[in-house]
Amino acid sequence: MGVITDKLPGVLEPVPGGSVLLTAVDQLINWSRSNSLWPLTFGTSCCAIEVMMATGAARHDLARFGAEVARPSPRQADLLVIAGTIVKRMAPRLRTLYEQMAEPRYVMATGSCAICGGPFMYHSYTTVRGADEIIPVDVYVPGCPPRPEAFFYGLLTLQKMIKEGESIRHPGERRRPVLAALPEGMTLDDIRKEMQDLLSHDANVNMAAAVAEGARYSSELKDF
Amino acid sequence: MSVHVSTLQARISGESTASSPLSTEEYFVNMGPQHPSTHGVLRLVLRLDGETVREVVPVLGYIHRGIEKMGEHGNYRQFVHLVDRMDYLSALANNWAVTMVVEKAAKMETTERIQAIRTLVCELQRIQSHLLWWGVFGMDLGGFTPFFYGLREREQICDIFEKTIGARLTMNYIQPGGVMFDIHPEFVKDVKAFISYLKPKLVEYDALVTDNVIIQERIRGIGKLSAERAIALGATGPVLRASGVAHDLRKSEPYGVYSQLDFDVPVGKDGDCWDRYWVRMEEMRQSVRMIEQLIDNIPEGKTFMVKPAAKIKVPAGVHYSHLETARGILGVLLVSDGKEAPYRIHCRTPNFNNLWCIGEMATGGRMGDLVAMLSSIDIVVPDIDR
Ligand code: SF4
Repeated sequence: MGVITDKLPGVLEPVPGGSVLLTAVDQLINWSRSNSLWPLTFGTSCCAIEVMMATGAARHDLARFGAEVARPSPRQADLLVIAGTIVKRMAPRLRTLYEQMAEPRYVMATGSCAICGGPFMYHSYTTVRGADEIIPVDVYVPGCPPRPEAFFYGLLTLQKMIKEGESIRHPGERRRPVLAALPEGMTLDDIRKEMQDLLSHDANVNMAAAVAEGARYSSELKDF
Repeated sequence: MSVHVSTLQARISGESTASSPLSTEEYFVNMGPQHPSTHGVLRLVLRLDGETVREVVPVLGYIHRGIEKMGEHGNYRQFVHLVDRMDYLSALANNWAVTMVVEKAAKMETTERIQAIRTLVCELQRIQSHLLWWGVFGMDLGGFTPFFYGLREREQICDIFEKTIGARLTMNYIQPGGVMFDIHPEFVKDVKAFISYLKPKLVEYDALVTDNVIIQERIRGIGKLSAERAIALGATGPVLRASGVAHDLRKSEPYGVYSQLDFDVPVGKDGDCWDRYWVRMEEMRQSVRMIEQLIDNIPEGKTFMVKPAAKIKVPAGVHYSHLETARGILGVLLVSDGKEAPYRIHCRTPNFNNLWCIGEMATGGRMGDLVAMLSSIDIVVPDIDR
């Protein structure tokens, strides 16, 4: 009992024959939520090794923070750690996973890929530039990949946030808008035009030049 | 009831359980892309008949980041750091593969010291990668203990790398023209301490998992891959060697200083999950052997042959070179038009070909064995999709 009351916000009132703990329900709920975060096992690439595996293993030991119960099903998890690059094909799945999780749910974006696209920010035609384009993110942990210690710092920040966060009267206070609204006067045609411009100087291939180049290379290959 | 008993007996004697006299309506199961045992975002579509797998089709693209296309926008130095993110468990070998093709094409000189350091760190990383695989393999089979053991030893190698390279996972260390930094003054001492620490641990692993009768019963005789099919599918690395083909680029086309080292290529017999397990365990011992031979004999010399900001130009033409990572042959094809950036760069990654063996292994097997087979291939999904 002693250990728990030390950290649990509340006052111990001594009464004859023992003591009574006085606390607020909000504080009690937030305290227990913050100390029993169950992460979803979700890792798409390199960051998963550092953030999901090395943290859970012997040296770093995620269990010290009460977050070691990794759940493979989003329905049982309440912390989504986005560890790794999100590409356009995976984005709808990530959104689905997020929506399958029960409230309250928390999201951490670890690694520069999940923050802004990371090393794949320029010239990549598939990466989503940051997980917050798809789902709301609570805590960002920078690094490529972040060290396990950095991840822990992020986790402690999240715990602090939860402890000070919602109350029964104002549930969901923490949440932010899901999608940023489009600027005024922007039409679908404008977006299409912008995309076309982007493609024409990035990924589009000049077919005539490519055929000529190809012929040159194949003639060179013969001598090779 | 008799049907049940006969299939159980067939299972114990290691025969294929494919043709159970009972067959039911076939149905499809979608496994992934979010699944704890697919090691990332791999998606498999399974056609099942009861518990028997009839067909496995991998569906790719959930982590396709366009690394090859991105390579055309930067110079060769910049491409090296992108390949770290392909097969991130053998980042150093990936660096080396790109470096090798650039050095070969541009006819860049290296010293003995550079080659020795490269070989040394690559072998350390091979151990590191196999340790992680061993832990995850145990976890996929349902035991959590190997995960803790494997990762505990892996952290020690991470420390060694961190001192010299400054990174734990994405190294960006081996560059065209040398290695980024000379080895740390304590590198030799640390590696020796680690090797003498690891050797008894490998014996402990054997006592814990390899000799465990439950593990042996579980993985012997499942996921068989014949040598012909392995070659036809383009499998390389431990998957190919477990099927009985002693093909290892470190032996057949030595690069680095492998030609001066004395080591064996472990080869399996049946190509089942057990053989793949055994080959990897044995490879760790061989890597230890190589490191022991090399650690006291690192020659003196320069560690970087070109100026750090020097522009590297590769003569026009098609260049190819390959090496053996922890998972198989990584080949890099470079088409150059004589400029600073490659015209086209293509990576022949080991995981892509190894993955397609799952169709061969799993067809006719049991649904419950699929995860063990998948884990025994040791795939890294970003390396497949790139
Ligand atoms: S941030 Fe770096 S380490 Fe993490 S997924 Fe992206 S590329 Fe990989």
